[in-house]
Order: sequence, then C-alpha cells, then structure tokens
Amino acid sequence: MGMSFNPPYPAGTVIKGKWRGNRYIVQRMLGKGANGTVYLVQREGRREQYALKIGNDTLELQSEINMLTSLQSCKMRSEHRSRRGAGLSSYMLESDDFGDTGNIPFYVMRYVEGRPLHHFLAKRGASWLGLIGMKLLEELNKLHRCGFVFGDLKPENVMVSDYGDAELIDYGGASPIGRSVKQFTEWHDRGFWNAGSRVGDESYDLFSFAVLCLRLLNESGLKAAAGQLPQTRNADELLKLARSLPDKKLGSWLCIALKGGFSGSAQAAEIWKQQIYSRRQQRLETIATPAWLKGAFALSLFVLVFTLYWVFFN
Amino acid sequence: MKQILLITDGCSNVGESPVLAAGYAFREGITVNVIGVVDEGTIGELGSREIGDIAKAGGGLSRIVGTAQLARTVQMLTRQTVVQTIQQAVNKEVHKILGNSSLAQLPPQQRSEMVQVVDELSETSPLRIALLIDASASMKPKLAAVEDAVRDLALSLEARAGRSEIAVFHFPGRSGGEDAQLDLDFTDHIAQVRSLFSRLKMRGATPTGPAIFKVIEAFQGSIALDEPRALLTGKKHGDQEGMIGGYVV
Repeated sequence: MGMSFNPPYPAGTVIKGKWRGNRYIVQRMLGKGANGTVYLVQREGRREQYALKIGNDTLELQSEINMLTSLQSCKMRSEHRSRRGAGLSSYMLESDDFGDTGNIPFYVMRYVEGRPLHHFLAKRGASWLGLIGMKLLEELNKLHRCGFVFGDLKPENVMVSDYGDAELIDYGGASPIGRSVKQFTEWHDRGFWNAGSRVGDESYDLFSFAVLCLRLLNESGLKAAAGQLPQTRNADELLKLARSLPDKKLGSWLCIALKGGFSGSAQAAEIWKQQIYSRRQQRLETIATPAWLKGAFALSLFVLVFTLYWVFFN
Repeated sequence: MKQILLITDGCSNVGESPVLAAGYAFREGITVNVIGVVDEGTIGELGSREIGDIAKAGGGLSRIVGTAQLARTVQMLTRQTVVQTIQQAVNKEVHKILGNSSLAQLPPQQRSEMVQVVDELSETSPLRIALLIDASASMKPKLAAVEDAVRDLALSLEARAGRSEIAVFHFPGRSGGEDAQLDLDFTDHIAQVRSLFSRLKMRGATPTGPAIFKVIEAFQGSIALDEPRALLTGKKHGDQEGMIGGYVV
C-alpha cells in the first residue's frame, strides 16, 4: 500500500495549514498505520503536544475525517444533553492541507501518551485487564451510540497511559453500523473464524474485543487455533480457549461475546462491570499479606512481650 | 462495476498476449487486477513484468505476494479498485464542473461532500467480479491458499450493501482444448464459491491471454447489470439523490 513513497518528515519540519493557517512543528514520528503516518507535533507558540496524521491517500484520509467529524458532533450533542461540560477526549481538533501545492491532507488529534495495550500488559500484568477492558467497552459503547463500529480492534490500536487509562487510537477502520467493515485484522475478524458476517454491528466489535482478550492472555493458544485449515477453523476453538482461562467469570463473558450473545455493547459493558471489573476491586481487600509484613509483625510482638516482661519483672 | 481478478504464479506461454487481452477488457469497461502468488523462489523478472503490464493495460492494480498474504491482498485490491473506479467517475464530473481541479485541490467542505458520495457509491453500487484462477500444474501447492482467499473475498462481498455477483473461471480448461473453464457463472449467491474447489483440476500450460478473452465474452454474454449510474434512479435515500446524481456521469 504505497507507504514507501512517503519518507517520514524529520523533526523540526513545519506543517502549515493552507485553509486555517495553523502551524505545527514536527517533534518525531509516532507510528505508521495502514493509511497514514502519525507525528507528535507542537503547535507553534503553544506548549501542548498533539498527534498529527498525514494520509497516504486523499480520499481515504478525507473519509476518515468525515467519520471523525460526525463522531465529534455526536459527542458534543450527547455532552450537551448530559450537561457534563467539555469532555476530556475529543476525536479531532482540526483538519487542513499543507505542502507547496497545498495538496497533502492532514488532521490533528489529541496526543495520547502511553504504550500499546499488549506491551502494557506484558509489563504490568494481566490483573490490569479488568480496568482497561471496562474503559474500552465504554469507549466502544460511545461509538456505537453514535452509529459507528470501530472495526479494526486489536491491542496495537489501544494506547494505555502509565495509570491504566486506555484510549482507542486509529479510527481509520471505523464504518457506519450496517455497512461492510472497512479494515480488519485476520485474528480479530469474525469472518476469519467462520463465526458470522463482516457487516459492521455491535457484536462485531465485541467479538474482536473477546479475541483481543484471548490474545493478551493466551497468545500461543490463539495462534495454534488460527493456524488450522480455513474450512475447519471456527469459533468453537476460541470458546475452548476462553473456557480454559483460569478466570472462569472472564471466560464465560468471552464465550457470550464470541457467540454474539450480548444485546449490544451497553449490556456487555454492564456485565463486565458487575462480573469482572467490580470483582477485581473486592479481591484487592483479600490480597495475601506479604511475608515481610508477617515477619515484621512477629518481631514487633516479640519486642512487645519482651518489653512487658522487662518492665514488670525488673 | 466490472472486475476481473487474475490469480497466477508465472508467465503465460500459450496463445495471445494477456496484456493485449487486458487492454480489450479495459476498453469494454472491465478493470483487470492481477495477483502473482509466489512461495519459494521468485516469480522471475519476466513473470513480474507481465503481471504489472496486464494490470496497467487493464486499468487495475497488481501485487506479488506469498500465500500467507493472499487473502488479505485479494480483499484489499478488490476494495481499492471499487473505490478507484467510483472516484474516477466522480473526478471526471469534478473536472466538468470546476475545470482543472481534482479532488485533492478542492476546499475541505466540498471535498468532504464529494468523498461522502464516493463512499456511498462504493458501498452500494452493483459489482460483478470474475475470478480467473491459474490452475496450471505449478499452482497446485498454492491452491489451498487461493481457496482461503476466495472464501474471504466472498465474506467481504456478502457484507456490501450493494448487489455483488461473482463468477469463477480456471485455466487451462478441460483437455487443453478450452482456454478457460467456467466453474461458476455470475451469481449473487456468493456462498456457492465455497463448495467449488474440490472440482478444480490442476494441469497443463498457462494460456493467460486466451483465458482473459474468454472471461470478457462471459461478461458480454450475460445480461448487462446496472452500472453505478443506475443507482441514481434507485429508491434509496430520497434527499441524497440529487447530490449523487449531480456528480456522477
């Protein structure tokens, strides 16, 4: 996909918008996606950093901008209704063109600092999945309520901050509900597993979400299941993987998602909250006492007894 | 929209030039995409040049990939070509209305509306696609991957909002006498391609050119389907009609 003819812009490059006139200074490249390159930029004269995406293809990027624009206005409407004021996240800040001929389209979005979900969990442990999953399901639900599916949901498209705040990045694969899914990744695709159509609906995203969890918790098992012949590859293999997870409640949540059993992402998020997210919080209280604390407690008891003995018998 | 998707693994060696055949196809309004499949070794300079030339003459795209990427590539090329075909039609209209400016030069608001039209038409326009599968002896080890790719394409076609039809041919045909054999005539029961592959027999030479000619005949022989413009008289989206109608030839 013609990515090779776009060498990355070096740090210091000034990207000046043709129509709106704002100037952004490139600090470094953040990543290359299927249909563009994302840079970390600073707006001239301001401190804040933003992420700026330059497309390979005018049409595709414009299509993405259109989708983000309608998401943005849907979001503003719902925030207005709930009177919660300005939300923290916004899908897109502005879009413009640049270049000598003014023909390279770009758009600017909020910069999400963090690391991709699979790297985060590998470093911090699977116990974070309850919290991060909760946030992701809420994000998906927001998107669904605005009439879109995310489509290409995978760990690479989830950015997690050091404190476990998760954000979806790269909305290039999002499409209106009821239309064909534009962009997907084999393992996360419902069609790949002969488990349903490629028409974008809420359960499509929930299916991808379930595969994402399986991939994070048992990647080798998922790989083995995906390696089967296409004719025999089916969702039963995924169900088996889900059932073999040590966390039984999570396993049965995943089974429902894989079978398309939730009425939508609202219900899926609600059950995740009750069964997986809240349970984690309860478990925190019954966490095992560390050995050093036991030792210290024993020592202090001993000192107390010794002190009492010394006080009373001397 | 009409497309031929040729899946091959090397040079043609019998009959007319496939590049010439692709040129004919393009003139008849059929876009030709070509995918070269290679696993071990390379496809050779001659083979890769021919693959590129067929696609150029056929107004389509070409890729050379390993079996592991085949499914993804088939899906992607088909989609890109649909968008490209619609975009070309829309661009032509833009030229007519605004003179010498293309999509990229339009002010954001107009461009945004234009792209909405392209997106809408790409999803809803009727599409007929003929798969032309090289079944010469050397393709034998790659057949499983081709089958997987065709299943995958079927899924994507079924998900489109517009009508999609598929036909499958392989070449060389039976007893070497036929150029290409029809395995499945144009149908919108896309699922039928899934049971097709047990019947494919792999043998013989690579008459790519004659095979493409045979597919062109099949397109012409069957009842002409609605072109994108037919949508304009369609029933969907009452208020968008005017906009779409305004842009497309």
